Amino acid sequence: MKTMRLRKHLSASLLAALLSAVAFLWATPFLWTLVASFRPESAGSADMASLLPDRHPTLENFRNALESGTFGIYYANTLIVVAGVLAVQCVTVSLAGYAFARLRFPGRDFLFYAFLLQLMLVPPALIVPNLRTVVDLGLYDTLPGVMAPYFASAFGTFLMRQTFLALPRDFEEAAAIDGAPWWAIIWYVLLPMAKPGLVAFAIVSITAHWNEFLWPLMVINSPSNQTLTIGLASFAMGAEGGKEWGVLAAGTLLVMAPLAVAFVAFQRRFVDSFVFSGVKG
Amino acid sequence: MTIVTRLGLGALALTFASAALPAWAQTKIEFFFPVPVEGKLAREMTRLVKVYNESQKDVEVTAVYTGGYDDTKLKAQAAAKAGKPPSVVLMSANFNVDLKLSGDIISLEPMLKADETTRDDYLKDFWPALHANAMVDGELYGVPFHNSTPLLYYNVEHFKEAGLDPTKPPHTWAELVDAAKKLTKGDRYGFLMPAGYDYLGWLMEALSMSNGGRYFNEEYSGEVYYDQPSMLGAARFVEDLIFKHKVMPQGVTEAGGVSTSFFAGKASMVLLSTGSLSFIRENMKQAYDVAFVPKNVRNAVPIGGASLVMFAGQSEDSKKAGWKFIKWLTTPETLGGWSRFTGYFAPRKSAYDKPEMKEFIAKNPDAKVALDQLPYAKPWFATYQTVAVRKALEDEIQAMMNGKKKADQAVKDAQKKADELMRPYVEQTSLKLP
Repeated sequence: MKTMRLRKHLSASLLAALLSAVAFLWATPFLWTLVASFRPESAGSADMASLLPDRHPTLENFRNALESGTFGIYYANTLIVVAGVLAVQCVTVSLAGYAFARLRFPGRDFLFYAFLLQLMLVPPALIVPNLRTVVDLGLYDTLPGVMAPYFASAFGTFLMRQTFLALPRDFEEAAAIDGAPWWAIIWYVLLPMAKPGLVAFAIVSITAHWNEFLWPLMVINSPSNQTLTIGLASFAMGAEGGKEWGVLAAGTLLVMAPLAVAFVAFQRRFVDSFVFSGVKG
Repeated sequence: MTIVTRLGLGALALTFASAALPAWAQTKIEFFFPVPVEGKLAREMTRLVKVYNESQKDVEVTAVYTGGYDDTKLKAQAAAKAGKPPSVVLMSANFNVDLKLSGDIISLEPMLKADETTRDDYLKDFWPALHANAMVDGELYGVPFHNSTPLLYYNVEHFKEAGLDPTKPPHTWAELVDAAKKLTKGDRYGFLMPAGYDYLGWLMEALSMSNGGRYFNEEYSGEVYYDQPSMLGAARFVEDLIFKHKVMPQGVTEAGGVSTSFFAGKASMVLLSTGSLSFIRENMKQAYDVAFVPKNVRNAVPIGGASLVMFAGQSEDSKKAGWKFIKWLTTPETLGGWSRFTGYFAPRKSAYDKPEMKEFIAKNPDAKVALDQLPYAKPWFATYQTVAVRKALEDEIQAMMNGKKKADQAVKDAQKKADELMRPYVEQTSLKLP
């Protein structure tokens, strides 16, 4: 009895130790970024790679990073792009997902697979054609121009279709009997139940567009329209010089902080929305 | 979403409104520039453009920061294909051939003609080593703006400690190996060089040139000399530094890692660009000095850096405005100021006749060494498909540095890949027979 409890205890602490070790390994880059961003004059210091914080932390790196760009504008632009893309996507992917999941029309499956093919295309291959379209629409060098290609999402449509397919038809039929039109069925009945799918998609969409570099770089010219990643690149992309590790770390932290904070703050919500979503097989 | 769009459109309208204020015959042009060293330079460039905009009323330039050299090329070409070509672009000096072959950039000869000058007259003030990269097929396509050569940086204190004379840095490969052996100690390496993309190709060009080679055919865009004795010797030399003499760590170190190792005293001698001079001067705590790239056969280094080019597809007014801006950016005063700020050398000889420049050189003898090496400088490699052809060599040398391939095999494979890449051009030119 006693040995069994001991063994149980031992295996539990062993598991905890193993998990901490893995967690530490995973967190090392973040820890280093955090430590390096507060280290004074890190370009010249010998312990650049050390994970131990310096005894005299400094905010100098953050000051340098903030001075190298107008971060207020970058944040605002990135927020507008991310929120704008997501808002439109929510409408398009749920409607498209609904159409592929519930409506019957000739060629539906073929169309769906053709739609999925989009996932196979490498984004850089689309830069020139997309840019042409954006110029034709008069959206070159505007934030809507950055957002436009993402308004439809093959991945989101796929995800929402699968989510709708998993919902029992009984709910819709009940609503239909009560005389609800198709849009009311989607809005009041299906969408609340499909929330986990939407939340999962939102996380993917937000991180992808928050971190995107190449496409905004292609569309945007005016400094007042630039996004965070482009601002960060101005000190991350030294071709011939050295790296100012401290400033680089501080800048990286500034860019990723809002997302990291938001994720920690809403973590509970994310998990909850997966658990309590009224979806019962 | 509507709010968001409105916000976006509102901001847009505001930009137009504020930009439209000086509404007389002003030509608006866009200038794309990469940030070659660090963020500070982007701010300095933005400041320069502001000074220009305030100095006259005919042209208004929007300075657009466009990432690294490769991103800048990608963005400028994509914008041109989409019908929005930038007027002026600061482009890596060895992209000109490629960009001319693809029809993206325009010859600057008409501008010279309009200014009633000749190419020879115009280029006379630029260092001779820069002429080849400024021209394609005998016509002027790029105006050099900032340039560099590789340079040997060494830690003076390590030299003294190892019993070496810091006033006599290694001049030959043999002396380099000898010094590096004495300097290697514990976790400190005697020698280190960046081996990331772009840098490695440039340094291998330096080593093969110092070994008597040419790397590529300056007169013809479809030939490189990867499997020739000069490059084979350079590759074997790098291989030996790592595996035989053990004075350089195995594997690929990026430029940022090399300068950091140098600052931290983990590497005693490093090969870096003269473009890093200001950065090293500001950050190196221990005493350091600089020297020519050591030679095996002769002293020779490639130039690097960037030139100003103009894109095809812009209006005549825009062309005129762009050329005016280029001329302002390349006055001896502007070039000198930029050179002192960055560490790159100024492409115009007359920039060094200015009193501020003379004072600066007197105060910073390391900048003088970079200048003294210039007479030995040769053109930067530029071929059909420059980047891919360069990577063909870099991938093989990196494999060699990781111990996965021998030098002899690496240069052979690199040559094979490069030949395949250039075949379409070769078949349209040299091998197209009557």
